[in-house]
Amino acid sequence: MDTAAAALSLKLAALTALVLLPLAMWLARWLATSASRARPLIEAALLLPLLLPPTVIGFYLLTGLGGASPVGAWLADHAGLRLVFSFEGLLFASVLINLPFMVQPLQRSFAAIPGSVREAAWVSGLSTWRTFCRIELPLAWPGVLAGVALTFAHTLGEFGVVLMVGGNIAGQTRTLSIAIYDRVQAFDNAAAAQMSLLLVALSLLALGLVFALNRRNPLQER
Amino acid sequence: MLSVEIEQAAPVPLHAKFDCRPGELVALVGPSGSGKSTLLRCIAGLAHPSRGRIGCGDRAWFDAAAGVRLPPQQRRVGLVFQHYALFPHLDALHNVALASSRPDAAGHAAQLLDRLGLQGLSGRRPSQLSGGQQQRVALARALAREPEVLLLDEPFSAVDQPARHALYRELAELHRGVPLPIVLVTHDLDEARRLADRLVIVDRGLTLQQGTPAQVLSQPRNARVAELVGIQNHFEGVFRHGDEPGWGRLQWGAAGGPQLRVRDKRRIEHEAAVSWVIPAEHISVHRAPPEGPNVQRARLAEALVLGDIALCRFELADGGATVQLHQTTAQLQRGELVVGGEVYLQLDPAGLHIMPRRGLQPPH
Repeated sequence: MDTAAAALSLKLAALTALVLLPLAMWLARWLATSASRARPLIEAALLLPLLLPPTVIGFYLLTGLGGASPVGAWLADHAGLRLVFSFEGLLFASVLINLPFMVQPLQRSFAAIPGSVREAAWVSGLSTWRTFCRIELPLAWPGVLAGVALTFAHTLGEFGVVLMVGGNIAGQTRTLSIAIYDRVQAFDNAAAAQMSLLLVALSLLALGLVFALNRRNPLQER
Repeated sequence: MLSVEIEQAAPVPLHAKFDCRPGELVALVGPSGSGKSTLLRCIAGLAHPSRGRIGCGDRAWFDAAAGVRLPPQQRRVGLVFQHYALFPHLDALHNVALASSRPDAAGHAAQLLDRLGLQGLSGRRPSQLSGGQQQRVALARALAREPEVLLLDEPFSAVDQPARHALYRELAELHRGVPLPIVLVTHDLDEARRLADRLVIVDRGLTLQQGTPAQVLSQPRNARVAELVGIQNHFEGVFRHGDEPGWGRLQWGAAGGPQLRVRDKRRIEHEAAVSWVIPAEHISVHRAPPEGPNVQRARLAEALVLGDIALCRFELADGGATVQLHQTTAQLQRGELVVGGEVYLQLDPAGLHIMPRRGLQPPH
């Protein structure tokens, strides 16, 4: 068992969820309530990571953010930041490919709140921000938890993009899924089996949580 | 006092002007899709018309010319939504307390719930309350805002008949107890008549007529209002001045139809094509020709028994127009009225209301 890889995977999953949550919440609420004509295009773009092979996303990230690219060079010069073969780069890629996993459940939750409930809050004197905190967020809570759990589980299991962007650097970019691949290549089936079992358990736990929470949705009490 | 004078072309055409004094209950009545709810949303600040002004007291809530557009939070409006729009994750007490700006919001909310007969239910969520109870929570929430205007959007449409009657009584009591302008939106004319001090008839976004229920129902301003308020005996005709001062003649239907003696207020021109209505209480049915004017021989063509009441259709012997009246079923049972039998209808000139046949556009 590669404990460093397990710790790195958990850290990456937790940070991805944390960074993605505010961004996804803003996006999801906008998508759920906006009548903008740009909406279908943005929705389609958000779903792309689900359909494209990880190698395609990895390739674009590598060429777009690598040291030879203008963005990569600028980041290296001005922020001292290297986004390929580093943990920061891994986090960036992870946030990007997890967008649909976080935004989808959130968007569904926000869209399920009747417009009249939001308006009732405004008419009752609640500001837009207070309406969000006191009414919308509690009602969308199952979606928030589902988004976090799905993102967490998906990040633990991500392989292709992680390998392309992060490589296989022990303690820096070698996550659990890469470590499993590594162990299988080295014919160390015992370690691979242990780590696989851990991934199965963690993912099952996260998904079980999603379904358990979906049953306690106040909007479905009728 | 709430005063509304607004106009817009889209998305819903509006051309509305009405006001509501403190302590007055005004009902906006009209068919579904006539723009009543949009009017209410404009008052609450949930929609903004393109032109006009909405004011409460001496304060403008909306004034297109002056660029005033207060958001809903800055208008002290209590709004009861059609399906209540209660906060599903909060119990009754917190639904109400959230709208209160008093330091002791929970105490204020509990007091309002008690006043509306919801003692002991404050810990229940909306899904655990009946339709009538939810409606009361919604009303308590609207009052918790300590509003300057109370707006009710079809508040009784989602409750069953017995609960509705109890709620009518409570609204009537509330109306007596709080000196607020109250605007009620309903498509149910009967409900409007029962509860409102004044009716505003709305059709396709236009306020066609306003007045007390008695005024609107007996003197509709035009044929469309007569149709909307469900006046069954609504006819066409031609008006002519008479020889006797103060009296004119009304030809019922096409040329050759019966001639009726009617009041002449000198408002309608000689030989004008008119629409006219007569409320049922101004038509009497006799078995023998009575004394007086406007007696027409007719035949009872059909009697549809609806419990104690029968809807009777009379056909005039002269001209063939039909008159619909409710008679008691007992009259049919006693043989006072027989289907196919002959009767005499007398139309009281005092109840006969004549309208020029103009279009539906309001005067600009």
